[in-house]
Amino acid sequence: MATGVQNQERVPVNLKKQLVLAVRNIQWSYAIFWSISAGQPGVLEWGDGYYNGDIKTRKTVQAVELNADQLGLQRSEQLRELYESLSAADSSPQARRPSAALSPEDLTDTEWYYLVCMSFVFNIGQGLPGRTLSSGQPIWLCNAHYAESKVFSRSLLAKSASIQTVVCFPFSRGVIELGVTDLVSEELSLIQFIKTSFSDGPQTFVSNKSIPVAGRTGYKKDFSCPSLLGCEQQEMASPNDSSDGYEPNQPAEDPFMIEGITDGVSQVQSWQFMDEEFSNCVDHSLNSSDCISQTVVDHGNAVPLSQGEKDNDNELTSLNLPSDDPHYQTVLSALLNSSHQLILGPHFRNSNQESSFVSWKKNGLVKSQKARDETPQKLLKKILFEVPHMHDKGLLESPEDNGARDAAWRLEADEIYGNHVLSERRRREKINELFMILKSLVPSNSKADKVSILDDTIEYLQDLGRRVEDLESCRELTDLEVRTKRKRQDHVERTSDNYDDNKITIRKKSSPNKRKACDIDEVEQEIDYVAFKDDSTNNVTVTVSLNKKDFLIEFSCPWREGILLEIVDALSILNLDCQSVQSSTTEGILSLTIKSKYKGSTVAKPGTVKQALQRVAWKC
Amino acid sequence: MENSTQESQPRSANFITYESSYPLYAMALSSMPSVTNLNHQRLALGSFMEDYSNRVDIISFDPETLSIKTHPTLSFDHPYPPTKLMFQPNLKSPSSSDILASSGDYLRLWEVRESSINPLSVLNNSKTSEFCAPLTSFDWNDLEPKRIGTSSIDTTCTIWDIEKGVVETQLIAHDKEVYDIAWCEARVFASVSADGSVRIFDLRDKEHSMIIYESPQPDTPLLRLAWNKQDLRYMATILMDSNKVVILDIRSPTIPVAELERHRASVNAIAWAPHSSKHICSAGDDTQALIWELPTVVGPNGIDPLSVYLAGSEINQLQWSAALPDWIAIAFSNKMQLLKV
Repeated sequence: MATGVQNQERVPVNLKKQLVLAVRNIQWSYAIFWSISAGQPGVLEWGDGYYNGDIKTRKTVQAVELNADQLGLQRSEQLRELYESLSAADSSPQARRPSAALSPEDLTDTEWYYLVCMSFVFNIGQGLPGRTLSSGQPIWLCNAHYAESKVFSRSLLAKSASIQTVVCFPFSRGVIELGVTDLVSEELSLIQFIKTSFSDGPQTFVSNKSIPVAGRTGYKKDFSCPSLLGCEQQEMASPNDSSDGYEPNQPAEDPFMIEGITDGVSQVQSWQFMDEEFSNCVDHSLNSSDCISQTVVDHGNAVPLSQGEKDNDNELTSLNLPSDDPHYQTVLSALLNSSHQLILGPHFRNSNQESSFVSWKKNGLVKSQKARDETPQKLLKKILFEVPHMHDKGLLESPEDNGARDAAWRLEADEIYGNHVLSERRRREKINELFMILKSLVPSNSKADKVSILDDTIEYLQDLGRRVEDLESCRELTDLEVRTKRKRQDHVERTSDNYDDNKITIRKKSSPNKRKACDIDEVEQEIDYVAFKDDSTNNVTVTVSLNKKDFLIEFSCPWREGILLEIVDALSILNLDCQSVQSSTTEGILSLTIKSKYKGSTVAKPGTVKQALQRVAWKC
Repeated sequence: MENSTQESQPRSANFITYESSYPLYAMALSSMPSVTNLNHQRLALGSFMEDYSNRVDIISFDPETLSIKTHPTLSFDHPYPPTKLMFQPNLKSPSSSDILASSGDYLRLWEVRESSINPLSVLNNSKTSEFCAPLTSFDWNDLEPKRIGTSSIDTTCTIWDIEKGVVETQLIAHDKEVYDIAWCEARVFASVSADGSVRIFDLRDKEHSMIIYESPQPDTPLLRLAWNKQDLRYMATILMDSNKVVILDIRSPTIPVAELERHRASVNAIAWAPHSSKHICSAGDDTQALIWELPTVVGPNGIDPLSVYLAGSEINQLQWSAALPDWIAIAFSNKMQLLKV
């Protein structure tokens, strides 16, 4: 791909102006100067150019009105910039185009052609400019858009751009190429005119035929400078060269390969070839609408043709072209690499490699892929969540949201890796953390080593245990006091009730009159059987109530030393497990409330219990 | 871990497969071909094995002949899977030595020569020898090639001057772990995090960052981020457990420009086209790689992708390099494929 930057030095300074003048004077579409490349010897590449053709979208930065000259220059500049940015896009993706710069969709086909030309490189002897340079003769190519690619490698491009005539002639250290969208038959005086205009400045091209006359008109030799005579010889030769190349072709209606560039197939103009031999540059027909401002005459009919090569079979098919001209292909693809086929559309086939991707169909791909019962984004999550933790460098705890997840990952990680060092270290760290927490919970002295922490914790727990016991017993005591007070009342009442009666009262649920409120409080559940005996003489009262396996014993007797123990013993002999004992001693009378549970299989009778207790009580 | 026996299978003209003997995750394409053969494009492939010993292999790809060549000497060990690999961007010209950066526990630089790899440096930011927060990702600044930004699970992003081997600056970027970082210009970068936000930082003003997007469900982590190098206004990000690719415009914060929702399972990787500002590729658990073209106007039904490729299994990694704009590299299970665009 040509890098225009390199070449700038080789292009004569005035050349731009001259190109401008030249193309303007003859009102053609573009002028290009191909210069011998500095970087690659024997190669022609883009030197400079001026675009004078149709424009689609004008983009200017300033609101200043420019005259036609400046507009044209600016346009050419913009096209060059666009090319540079497109071709530079590969290597420096940072390049950003200014807002007023052109983008591919702003260009007409002809402008595209001009732009794409910037990428072309010709070996000497190859292509139109190459052959011009090697032969030293001008080449005038009519119907460039139908030319064979060997002759004119850009013929397809030209077709899309409707460039019909291309003229090359050697100049300075390169080749000047001019092109126009109209069919201009060969007129070498034009070339001469341009050459002279380079030295002379703006001129009006006046061809010999100042009188618009249809039909043949003589070609006056006096107009041309003497060199034209010499040129004639050459001109004779060169059209042959150029005419060798192209053949009359039936317009090919083939679809374009370059659909993306063009908006559509350009209309093929039917034209008629006059299969006449070229005769000494005499007969020309110049039907060009470009030259209307010039007094150029319409000539007769002879359009340079191939020498009898009326090969209608040789059709240009766009499909053949790529294989015929790999250079074209590579150049095109290289340039369009930057304005990628993606931009041009999915239909564009770049070279001979098809895309791996298929077009998206809305309802396509109905076949489901594998069942997604695994974790979504599994590997990605592992990379982000697990792998960092694998490095195991005492990481910060992840926040609570991810805590559970991380813990899960970590657990999985441990299992999977089986890396003992890893898990061991992690375990140690965990232990340390827990110690810290423990330390914070336990009021301790300042030491923070594990032993001290444990010591302090033990102490603290024991202390707490004691406190709990104390509190509980206090609570019980107060409860008991409350109850015994009530009890006492009850007891007294009962005693008083039954003092004389000395009878056994079976207390049942259905005899509420015997129940006092406090009793109801104490005994929640159904009472099966109650034994009540009162021995007023000894001031011994025993009440035993059985509730399934729970005995509630209310007992009072004169206190003596060790009696409590004996009572408990007696009960345990009977396989009664004392669960709670509430006792108080008042005025020598010990009052007890014992809740006990039968721990054997058969339940003792309350009567038995009572008797046992009484025995204890009566012992002295 | 022995060097795998790799195969480069002949293929249709569409894609080239490279099969490794271990699962692959991290992948990088060199920004310049090798100097000996201008057509050899280097790729670095990082393994994913839940083990201490992992490997990074360098292979080269020839787009002309569509072949892959392995280089058994161009391979090195890496502790635990590398979370990201990246060659230095924008090499001026094909050179015989390329630099590859890898992230894992530390940021490491390796010099990749024609037939050997030399470790260049290990960049460790920790003050003490014990603690260094491992890195989830990093990005190499292509305008300022000595600058690499790393993201870490300790909520910070560290900017390194790799020529001097020192930290330029370290920022506390987010409230939670940072999962990805991407440079925009020489001094501006963005990062995404478990806290669900995309924040942009400017090194000239380290105190402040700009939140340009937050995940709609609060605290849904954003896992990956990509900045459109062709049009720096646009970024793309993906959420955890989501099949959406969220396209953001930095000029209009908090509101996504587009949400590309055609994947049938969650998305794992995204990459903007290196040569076109409108195209982005995404790949996910549904084994699809989708190329999208972002229109100027979004239709009512959302945006459909341009084209699709179905791989053999869930695609975990995607790279689209400026050096090979015609090719997209994907990695799934043990395989790496180069797909023609």
